[in-house]
Amino acid sequence: MDKIYFIAKKELLTYFKSPIAYITLVLSISIFNVFFFIIIDQNREVSLRDVFHVMEFMFLFLVPIMTMRLFSEEKSSGTMEFLMTAPVTNMAIVLGKYLGVLVFFSILLSFTLIYFAIIEFFGSPDRATVVSGYIGVWLEGAFFIAVGMMTSSWTRNQIIAAMMSYVILFLLYFLINFTKYFSGEAETLIQYMSTLTHLEHFIVGVITVGDLVYYLSGIFICIVFTRLSIENRMFK
Amino acid sequence: MIITKNISKNFGSFQALSDVSFEINKGEIVGFLGTNGAGKTTLMRILTSFLPASTGTVLIDGIDTAKHSLITRKKIGYLPETPPLYLNMTVKDYLKFAAEIKGIPAKNRRRQFDSVMAECQLEHMAGKTIATLSKGYKQRVGIAQAIIHEPKLLILDEPTSGLDPIQNLQVRNLIKNLKDQRTVIISTHILSEIEHIAQRVLMIKSGKIIIDESLDSLMRSYSIDGNNSKGNSQSREMNLEDIFIHHHSDKNKDQENDDMDSSVVNHNG
Repeated sequence: MDKIYFIAKKELLTYFKSPIAYITLVLSISIFNVFFFIIIDQNREVSLRDVFHVMEFMFLFLVPIMTMRLFSEEKSSGTMEFLMTAPVTNMAIVLGKYLGVLVFFSILLSFTLIYFAIIEFFGSPDRATVVSGYIGVWLEGAFFIAVGMMTSSWTRNQIIAAMMSYVILFLLYFLINFTKYFSGEAETLIQYMSTLTHLEHFIVGVITVGDLVYYLSGIFICIVFTRLSIENRMFK
Repeated sequence: MIITKNISKNFGSFQALSDVSFEINKGEIVGFLGTNGAGKTTLMRILTSFLPASTGTVLIDGIDTAKHSLITRKKIGYLPETPPLYLNMTVKDYLKFAAEIKGIPAKNRRRQFDSVMAECQLEHMAGKTIATLSKGYKQRVGIAQAIIHEPKLLILDEPTSGLDPIQNLQVRNLIKNLKDQRTVIISTHILSEIEHIAQRVLMIKSGKIIIDESLDSLMRSYSIDGNNSKGNSQSREMNLEDIFIHHHSDKNKDQENDDMDSSVVNHNG
């Protein structure tokens, strides 16, 4: 466990030693702020429902930028050899890195809690719905990060890693639009695979076992594939 | 300390190592010699558990590296050909991370850190970002991470490659000081390095070990005692470079009985 913590700590330190962390934070929060005020001004309701939708869409673009360097950089700089010859398990390396980005993502998301405070100050929002919405956005971000980490483990080129993340995430996001071409079980399956379906439930205040299983199993599968990928030394 | 038995490594259809077997005793300083692409780095990566062997076994202190790599990795300090450095970290942060990840207990980390900083003469560089260091200092930081957990076995892959003569001398002196306490494997194609540091030579060619001898015995066995091309009598010993070129020259391979070979009359290997 302590090795996971050390690797996560190092990842977080690396983020804040590079401009990526600050650019990501400033860019995201600025965009969220703009959309928050536009949405509140237009809707005139004490709800973060549409803000969560914007966050989800923005994380499609931002998460691959956060995750693209995770393993690609280690491979291209030669530090993968340092990590993988140290007395630490491959799973600890994967979990440590995952945890590092997840903490960074959580810090980013925590900055948006100010919106909750603002609508709380000016009205009486449904607190349970806001909380479940935040849980949904956090889980979705955690899933996106797992996808991004997995693609980063496939290549030593950060740009290619980001591109592969975009392909997978956009596919998952826009999958719901293809349901009209299918019927029956195929339609249900496509609906279940789409990230939009699941976050929508959280945003309206409904947390179901199916939605939790979707995100948690997605994270688990990506972590396992990442481990398998780094165990396959053919990348050298 | 190390026993390798019939190690082979294939990358697809390419065979990087073929049936490599040797033993290295505790405290020995062994030089892996070979041209680029001979298989030195692959062999080192297998010893450090970075790569699995296609066939064969590696035992370190009697422990199979394929089955118990977490135990054997604790015994090994490894400096890859490219120093594995996080360039945006400071020397202090990097070595602290190396100490943590290599499992040094918290109470000993400070002592170990101070010790390697002194040993590698990095004290005045602690707060510097690694990216700003010279190549020689980067190499020292690489060596520092390799020895921070006091490994019994030190594996150095071309540690002086690309350094200027002064940096080369400094790193070589550093390695000389390290060898007193450990078993050291050093890979290089800089032959003078082996002559200065190693006691034994493993020469690798096309993934096979072609020479496994102590340096003294190797020098003795390749003495020149005969006539040169002008018919003048001469008697001298070949240096390691001559032996290396002799074994890697296609001309010599094709013309086993030419001038060069006819003068190597006392080869006992």
